Amino acid sequence: MQNFILSAITFLPLVGMLLVLVTPGKHKGLIRWGSVAFSLLPFGLSIVLLVSAHFFPPQGIFLFEEKYAWFPQVNATYHMGVDGLSMPLVVLTTFLTPLALLISMSVEKDVKAYYALFMLLETAVIGAFVSLDLLLFFVFYELSLVPMYFLISLWGGANKRYASLKFILYTMFASLGMLLAIQVIGLASGSFDLPYLFSEAGRPFVGKNTVNMLVGNGMWQAIAFGAFSLAFALKIPIWPLHTWLPDAHTEAPTGGSMMLAGILLKLGGYGFLRMVLPLFPDAAREFAPVLAVLAMLSIVLGAFAAWGQTDFKKLVAYSSVNHMGFVALGIAVAASAMGAAAAMPAEGAHKAAGYVGEALIESARIAGNGAVLQMITHGLSSAAMFAVVGIVYERAHTRDLNKLGGLWTIMPKYGAIMIFCAMGSVGLPGLSGFVSEFLVTRGAWGSSFTLLTVISMLGLLVTGIYILKAIQKVLHGPVGHEWEHHPPKDINWIEILGVAPLMVAMLLLGLLPSIVLNPINFSIAALIR
Amino acid sequence: MNGINGIPLWAFLIIAAALFCIGLYGALARKNAIAVLMGVELMLNGVNLNLIAFWRFIAPDSSAGLVFAAFVFIVAAAEAAVGLALIISVYRNLNSVDPEKLDQMKL
Amino acid sequence: MIPTQVIQTLLWLIPLPPILAFGIIALGVNRSRMLTTLTSMTGILISLAASWVVVLGAIGAPELGRKPIGSSIEWLATGATTLRIGAAVDALGATFLFMVPLACAVIFLYSTSYMASDPRYTRFMGYLSLFAGSMLGLVVADNLLSLFVFWELMGFCSYSLIGFFYAKPSAYKASVKAFMTTRIGDMLLLLGIVYLYAETGTLNFADILVNKGMLEFLADRPAILLGGMGISAASMIALLIFGGTVGKSAQFPLHVWLPDAMEGPTPVSAMIHAATMVSAGIFLLLRFFPLFEEATHGPMGSRTALEIVGMIGAITALMGALIAVAQYDIKRVLAYSTISQLGFMVAAVGMGAYVAAAFHLLTHAFFKALLFLGSGSVIHGVEHGHHHLHGDDHGGHADPAGQDDHGGHDDHSKPPAFDPQDMRNMGGLAQRMPLTTLTFVLGGMALSGFPFITAGFWSKDEILADAFAGMASGKWLHSVIFIVLCVAATLTAFYTMRQIALTFLGEARSEAAAHAVENPWQMTLPLVILAFFAAFLGFINIPRDFPVFGPLLGANAAWLKDFLGQMLLEKEAALPFNIIPVLASVGIAFTGLGLGALVYAAKPLKAGQTDPVEKLGPVYAFLRNRMYFDELYRAVFINPLQWIADHYTAIVDRGIIDSLLEIGYTIGGGVAEGFRLFDKYVVTGASDLTGSIFKRAGEWVRELQTGQVQNYLLTGIALAAVLVAFYLFIFQG
Repeated sequence: MQNFILSAITFLPLVGMLLVLVTPGKHKGLIRWGSVAFSLLPFGLSIVLLVSAHFFPPQGIFLFEEKYAWFPQVNATYHMGVDGLSMPLVVLTTFLTPLALLISMSVEKDVKAYYALFMLLETAVIGAFVSLDLLLFFVFYELSLVPMYFLISLWGGANKRYASLKFILYTMFASLGMLLAIQVIGLASGSFDLPYLFSEAGRPFVGKNTVNMLVGNGMWQAIAFGAFSLAFALKIPIWPLHTWLPDAHTEAPTGGSMMLAGILLKLGGYGFLRMVLPLFPDAAREFAPVLAVLAMLSIVLGAFAAWGQTDFKKLVAYSSVNHMGFVALGIAVAASAMGAAAAMPAEGAHKAAGYVGEALIESARIAGNGAVLQMITHGLSSAAMFAVVGIVYERAHTRDLNKLGGLWTIMPKYGAIMIFCAMGSVGLPGLSGFVSEFLVTRGAWGSSFTLLTVISMLGLLVTGIYILKAIQKVLHGPVGHEWEHHPPKDINWIEILGVAPLMVAMLLLGLLPSIVLNPINFSIAALIR
Repeated sequence: MNGINGIPLWAFLIIAAALFCIGLYGALARKNAIAVLMGVELMLNGVNLNLIAFWRFIAPDSSAGLVFAAFVFIVAAAEAAVGLALIISVYRNLNSVDPEKLDQMKL
Repeated sequence: MIPTQVIQTLLWLIPLPPILAFGIIALGVNRSRMLTTLTSMTGILISLAASWVVVLGAIGAPELGRKPIGSSIEWLATGATTLRIGAAVDALGATFLFMVPLACAVIFLYSTSYMASDPRYTRFMGYLSLFAGSMLGLVVADNLLSLFVFWELMGFCSYSLIGFFYAKPSAYKASVKAFMTTRIGDMLLLLGIVYLYAETGTLNFADILVNKGMLEFLADRPAILLGGMGISAASMIALLIFGGTVGKSAQFPLHVWLPDAMEGPTPVSAMIHAATMVSAGIFLLLRFFPLFEEATHGPMGSRTALEIVGMIGAITALMGALIAVAQYDIKRVLAYSTISQLGFMVAAVGMGAYVAAAFHLLTHAFFKALLFLGSGSVIHGVEHGHHHLHGDDHGGHADPAGQDDHGGHDDHSKPPAFDPQDMRNMGGLAQRMPLTTLTFVLGGMALSGFPFITAGFWSKDEILADAFAGMASGKWLHSVIFIVLCVAATLTAFYTMRQIALTFLGEARSEAAAHAVENPWQMTLPLVILAFFAAFLGFINIPRDFPVFGPLLGANAAWLKDFLGQMLLEKEAALPFNIIPVLASVGIAFTGLGLGALVYAAKPLKAGQTDPVEKLGPVYAFLRNRMYFDELYRAVFINPLQWIADHYTAIVDRGIIDSLLEIGYTIGGGVAEGFRLFDKYVVTGASDLTGSIFKRAGEWVRELQTGQVQNYLLTGIALAAVLVAFYLFIFQG
């Protein structure tokens, strides 16, 4: 059965973009509020998606599939569909966009172009999440870079040229390899359709689907795996491929940072789970330890780097490296169990230490759940933190932590909101970050990465330090002399409107994680066998 | 072969050529646009003479030659009317009918 | 007999009212002090009522240890395992449900007066409500994960409350210190939870801790890390969980946060030291005692885990008592005494004296809450005297910005530094604050273990009796613990006497102390309530064969032992009565108190006179500076880590990674430059040449267009001539 809900969600923002473009630029208020109102439409539709998926459980793996011929010459199709991996991310995207638009109300420069680019960004990201065809995915994936590049290079801070260039070069460079890999897969299997590629008949580089051209099949497989992994690892980002992130974040406008940290980074983790693991299960299993070590380094070094920052925004940017490290760790654990069912433990194996067979798969599934949930929760908490940074920057005109201080006295509401968001970021139980970190830790402990888990706890410890440092440097202490005569205004209601839904979502997911975990678990269980 | 009343074809052609050349000279050399126009009329008349002469000597049974000549008359008349109107208009604007000064079309 | 359904429902409701009160205060009524007081008091009183109903029901329930009353719901389904969360009560939980809400309610009442003049009173009461709610949630949790949720939430509350005077550097530093130090323990605990979950697939207490099969499974399995060294999974999980206790209950070596935590307002100290934080750590340890016990059985059985617990407890008990001797701050003395007393409890658990530890925790909660609230009363009184003297109205300096002053209490930041917490500024308060003095002395006696009439005596005696019994049967751990605890107990009695003498006896050593006044009923009533329990709570657990008291109580003697004993798979054998530990307890109390009285009470300190302790010289300096733990940690852990953090970005990210990228970028740029030059001189050159040729030609042809009609005509004629010529001579030809 065909229906159009996914296409509608994907392209509604594009319609919104056109509407923004035909609105005369002098009606700034209309553009702003109109965009916010319009961006609620895809959100509403995605909620419909979530609810209907809840009440009408899926028969197959993918829901709401749409499939049309697109480039019959190369057998590429316009194929869309969602499952438990992508649906929460689609909802996250449609949820964050209106909030980022609300927070962007204070942008005065070239409002029309700004809001139009945001809409384009939303279309691109949703498209990437719902695509079930490699070529279609690639188109949307690349499309998402363009608006982000312009958002940074046109509305950025002092160092915007460097940052935007670094961003675009880094990611473009990595996705070139991915394009090559996609082409090779198309050559091998004769299709770009993901469900077909996942099936026994369609798995690339296996059975009849081999490529022998210049180099052997195994080499092509390695190249394709490497190219995919590089592209997505860079997007997550995993240490040491992360250095574009702090620069891009620091220079991006607040709304852009929210989208970048909240959604764009998730394309990396999503790509790993959607493509790398099922397409290259054996390679993924072999390289899982490498990924796990890098993930551990991301967690620990990201936390230390965040601790060392004096720029509030950079601190939050590095916290993304730290938090996304847990996503990577969860993925590594999931990867380590790909195909582990083949090796079942002998009778009485529980007497020996270590986890194999069923126990390993169980751990991997829990870690996979944790990784996806961590993407969602990081999307919420990092967006909230960037909003918090943006709000104080707008008033104090500085992000230097050594110059801020004592603001809680002047801005009591802001202080309370900031502490809440910071606690969400630190993973305080009761808020969503805890559940995902717990699941990843649980999964990682029960895999072959137990020692790495223990070391990662050091990162989690330092997470507390840098978050408390931020709170202390911004809110605590005596009121600075600068503020005495021109005290910054407290957070206004539009900004509260932009942040409060994030806080509610963090609390809701912290108390009832099952509302997103149920679909996630379904897909993760299908993935890791 | 006999001519018309003994006048041979070549005589007509010489007269026509002479008329044409006089007209051409006038059109190229005169400093008065009206004179240029008159030169053009002379050239047309020369051509007409040519046409009639050839008709009469080569294809007297067909009326095509006459029709040609009639067309030329009509065109000449129309041209004269339009040309004169243009010249008057130019004179009104530029106070001159010297074609050397009429180089606005260059741009 | 209360129906099970009622208990099940009430259990869920116990932690809710204070948490709701927090929500209401935060979002709604924070403009009104009256409504705030009403909301928070209502919340805690509802919880108190619900808790006590549950306690009554639980006491009457059969087989409570094996079959806790409770209910649970599915919460987290991942992979094939489903985690259920719920609320349940068993004997241990019931014991805490008796103590926690009562202590909290009393502290709430006290706070309404103590904090009344603070500009951020409403925020304070809100946090306090959340704090109490979290502790109650922790107690009723039926699984380790919900326990951890509330555990962390409490960490957050203590962070917020210790740093309540956030404008003051010492306060926010103390709050960060508390949060981070306990977080070290929390990370270990998290690993313990994760390990337990990975092994058993459940975190429900009843499924693990009273399930012999599950416990044996854990004890027989080698640990995943260090498994080769003969450590069982049970030992490892137990020790990781103990890590949480070390952090939360301020055991050596993570004890450093607790003394600084008194930067918070005094009611917060009472909350942390008695009703909530530190009790939670011991509560967890007691909960998991069956696991520690099981780890000693089986082929991989070893007492290592319990020995570590016992040694840590003993070290902490002695260390805390030693440091407390050399402190002047009235609250700091109490803080170190808490550390020391917690050491007693942990040491008791290490010896396997489960009930004794729980008993001491219970009595300690009351007398320590009493002492803290008493000290708050003293500080409040002295402050009042100070303000009275300097003419500023007590409540009138409510600075709306709230940064310089916080309603007067606990504020060290204002020069000239008059410290109302320094015992050297007190003295002679017995006459000015009689009720406070009376209750404080009672609390102090309970802390010292004054025989028979204080609860502290009974519980401490119980621990010592257990230690002595072990020593008599030749166990080295028990022997060490017995000796160490005896020394620590003597010191406890000594510094308690010192504190009482310095504070209440003799002449006032400052004008402020001379003008101190007794506090209103909201502050003294709590003292009286707590004093009652500090005196009489001991009677719930007196050994049956204890002379006089045992027969007097008859069947009700050793009630707690029977009640809590249900929790253990193997019941503790009742120890035969032995006179030696009792004599030791009595002797210790009198020796310590007597020594203290000799040094301090006989000749009370005059103003300006130095404390006799200072004559100890370097020992004094060592103790005064808290054995230099802070300095040591700063040098060994914090500074190196801070250095890494400060330099990581410059060295690794910018220095190495970005430099490599820079090189790649430069190489790419060089290649691109080559292409650019090729383009510029070869490709562009060729096309430029073509272009310029046509341009020249165009310019030349352009000359032809003169605008002269006659020229055009001439050109036309000439061209026609050429064409004709072409036609005639070439084409035809």
